[in-house]
Amino acid sequence: MRTLLYLFVKNGGFVTFVIMEVMAFYLIVQFNSTQRTIWAHSMGMFGGHVAKREQETINYFRLRHLHDSLAQENARLQQQLANERYRLLLPLNRDSLFLGFRDSLLRRDTVLTRDLRPAFDFIPAEVVGNTITGNNNYLTLNKGSNDGLEPDMAVVTRSGIVGIIRQVSPHFSYVMSVLHRQSKISAKVKRYNAAGSLVWEGNDPATMTLRYIPKHFLIAPGDTIVTSGFSQMFPKGMIIGTVVEKPELDGENPYFLIVPVRLSQDMSAAQDVYVVRNRYAAELDSLKQQFIHEQ
Amino acid sequence: MNNSILPSVWRFLALLAVQVLVLRPLFSTVGPYATILIYPLFVFFLPVKLPTPYLVFLGFLMGLFVDFFYVTLGIHASAGAFSGLIRPLVFAAFGPKGGFSGKEPVFSRFYFNWQSTLSAAAFFMVLHLFWYFAVDAFSYVFFVSVSLKTLVAWMLSMIFVVFYMALFKTQY
Repeated sequence: MRTLLYLFVKNGGFVTFVIMEVMAFYLIVQFNSTQRTIWAHSMGMFGGHVAKREQETINYFRLRHLHDSLAQENARLQQQLANERYRLLLPLNRDSLFLGFRDSLLRRDTVLTRDLRPAFDFIPAEVVGNTITGNNNYLTLNKGSNDGLEPDMAVVTRSGIVGIIRQVSPHFSYVMSVLHRQSKISAKVKRYNAAGSLVWEGNDPATMTLRYIPKHFLIAPGDTIVTSGFSQMFPKGMIIGTVVEKPELDGENPYFLIVPVRLSQDMSAAQDVYVVRNRYAAELDSLKQQFIHEQ
Repeated sequence: MNNSILPSVWRFLALLAVQVLVLRPLFSTVGPYATILIYPLFVFFLPVKLPTPYLVFLGFLMGLFVDFFYVTLGIHASAGAFSGLIRPLVFAAFGPKGGFSGKEPVFSRFYFNWQSTLSAAAFFMVLHLFWYFAVDAFSYVFFVSVSLKTLVAWMLSMIFVVFYMALFKTQY
């Protein structure tokens, strides 16, 4: 208090000046139209500036929401794309009584009457755990059985493939990375439609190896490698990577090539992923089981 | 006590009267640059020993009275308060070396020579006028026009300041 008093005594002139000026400014703005206009204009600019900053701040905190909705939208588009590719895979349903009947009625070209069944659902998820240094690597996702995730579903990103779900809990799931000694993904060279098996030899987390491509295919560096769609986990035609260097002959089986593939998805940077659910997985599985049973 | 208060009261009334009854009707029709202010001399001739808060308050009061007649409520008051604040600085710069001895109640031609009193008053007037026009413009974008107005108004006002100082030696 004493200090405060001392400060006032020492700077009393200035304090009085400030008080008087505040009063004067109040009077000026209150009673002089020109100055009031300028004041209102300045305050308007200031207010606009403040409002703009406020909106920016609010937008910043909405980014999380925006991110989620964009992920949803992406999932929807990816799903659409995958289903479109799948549709082209399906045989024409010439044996369907209904479609045959409709064909005869509409006299449409059979290409237009392909089945329009969607096969894949894309569920957006986020990577919350990831290893790339071991021989057998795993990822953890922030979604689980509560979100419809099940074992054996594929995990992909916009730029490549990530892995296959092995275990699910209500809120999380455990994904076998493609960087796993046991991972074996059906892939093909886009240019030739030649299918083989993609495996990981270990060590380099950016490179995998495509095996069992017959040696008569002239594969060059830069060729695109995509999923074949044969495994029913990964939708057909999703990009995996590109050929790094000229392939060599397989030492164990010289009729096939060993193709080194650079992954288009950097596994250490996998963040926003989509879990792919094949709606016909159970059906296909039971079909396979029946077949094995009969044998 | 009477010696210091009464002359100031008279000066207050006289300068106010000259300002609003003579100078205002005389030059208010000429143009925006022909502003002549004489009332700051009231602050200038307040007793030397008066503390700054009083100077600020009395300057504000003087300006407020002028504002009532000029219908510019607050602008002259703001400039008056400002001149009260800067008067000690002007006196320190133009006053006698080593400060006032205490025998001079006011900084006037009665105790000091023409040169020091007039240069102090001139500088004091420049600051007052600049503040006045700055507040009148109310925006820094008019800096050039404010400076120009200050220059012209200062030259016109100084004629009257010199005239005043020649008429009154100002003992108290």
